[in-house]
Amino acid sequence: MKKLVSCALVAVMALSMVACGSSKNVASDSEYVKNNGKLVVGITDFAPMDYKDDAGNWIGFDADMAAAFADSLGVEVEFVEIDWDNKVLELDGKTIDCVWNGMTLTDEVKSAMDCSNAYCNNAQVVVVKSEVADQYQTVESVKDLTFAVEAGSAGEAEVTALGINCTPVKQQSDAVMEVAAGTSDAAAIDALMAAAMVGEGTGYADLTYTVSLNSEEYGVGFRKGSDLVSALNDFLKASYEDGTMMATAEKYGVQASIIEQ
Amino acid sequence: MSQIITQFPIVFEALNVGFLQTLKLFIITLVGAIPLGLVICLGSMSKIKPLKAITKVFVWIIRGTPLMIQLLIVYYFPGLALNNPVWGGGEEGRFLAASVSFIINYACYFSEIYRGGIQSIPVGQDEAGMVLGMTKSQTFFKVKLLQMVKKIVPPMSNEVITLVKDTSLSRIIALQEIIWAGQAFLKGSQGISGAIWPLFFTGIYYLIFSGILTVLFAKLEKKLDFFR
Repeated sequence: MKKLVSCALVAVMALSMVACGSSKNVASDSEYVKNNGKLVVGITDFAPMDYKDDAGNWIGFDADMAAAFADSLGVEVEFVEIDWDNKVLELDGKTIDCVWNGMTLTDEVKSAMDCSNAYCNNAQVVVVKSEVADQYQTVESVKDLTFAVEAGSAGEAEVTALGINCTPVKQQSDAVMEVAAGTSDAAAIDALMAAAMVGEGTGYADLTYTVSLNSEEYGVGFRKGSDLVSALNDFLKASYEDGTMMATAEKYGVQASIIEQ
Repeated sequence: MSQIITQFPIVFEALNVGFLQTLKLFIITLVGAIPLGLVICLGSMSKIKPLKAITKVFVWIIRGTPLMIQLLIVYYFPGLALNNPVWGGGEEGRFLAASVSFIINYACYFSEIYRGGIQSIPVGQDEAGMVLGMTKSQTFFKVKLLQMVKKIVPPMSNEVITLVKDTSLSRIIALQEIIWAGQAFLKGSQGISGAIWPLFFTGIYYLIFSGILTVLFAKLEKKLDFFR
């Protein structure tokens, strides 16, 4: 027994030494990216920010801006689809270099990563069945509904702040499925996504979205202490001033939401 | 309904791409885990005490923790704790990490099935082999192995069919297998958004695939039916 305990202790010590050794960063983040010759951008399939064209290339407002930013650093861009729940793991594990996917700047996001300046406006909206939509046009009226929200999302934060009971689910699309299946009365999701997912011509023709719970902003997330944040802020400013940012935004129909840099 | 018909070709193609990943992971796991399982099995039955103890603890850890956690550890640990993301961020790295996790996990389960198979063979056969002047390995490979194979076919088929479905766990490290491909249409992909049916349709793939495996295993059992 004693032997077993001492073996376990040795293993724990060895692990913690490994962990300590890794906390020292050898080079700055921009040097790391430049040495790799590529900027690995973590995304999800999220029109109109990041999605695939018919040829299978990633396009969208965020994708085009990320490609331009990588270009300005003199490196290639590589898009990697990630599980949104694991974005911080992916960043810290260096399997991606930034999260650039219409990410709402919540307090949780800002505490887990270093974020760029906000570049785009968004809102959390309430998705309900169309037949009852008339009754739920105000924030006050939705307080008695049961909500489904994406775990860790801005929607969850807003709904919880209003003191409404909610069921956290794996992703925003699952939250909408809950409403369609009648297992929840309503879902709180991104306005941009709601516009793409529910209503006429989608698989959820009998759902619609009503009131906005808040207004919020999108930003890009980097590893803690990364010097790429200031590089990106400079890049956003420059591309806003020379008009390329607006031109890209118009291409994907998000020009009304762009924030002045 | 008409919507599903127009969506079907696009969804079908995307699901096939996803299923190919599922199939690849399934095959690689079997190719790696079936021999590795035998190695672990021999380790856990070894007469060398420390080797036996280490193997047993290893099997306990792998069988005692969820495969999902193992996937997360194998994929993220090198970058998080060792500051060296050996797998890289791309699709290939994710596939490799998933393969390694699955092979180790299934090898441990297989090793216990093998052990059950080997130990179920009466000691009398070892003694008979010795009397006939055969070495231990001769007795194992020439006498016991085929009997063991016959005995482990039913439990192995159980594990293999479980593996078909377990491959879906690899989506936790964003490997784009078939469930991932089906779910993409919920949120919006390739111009289709809010489509619920592709996710449920993936179930058909699993059903057909496990159906084929069931038939194959039944055939194998029949083939081995020439002795008892």
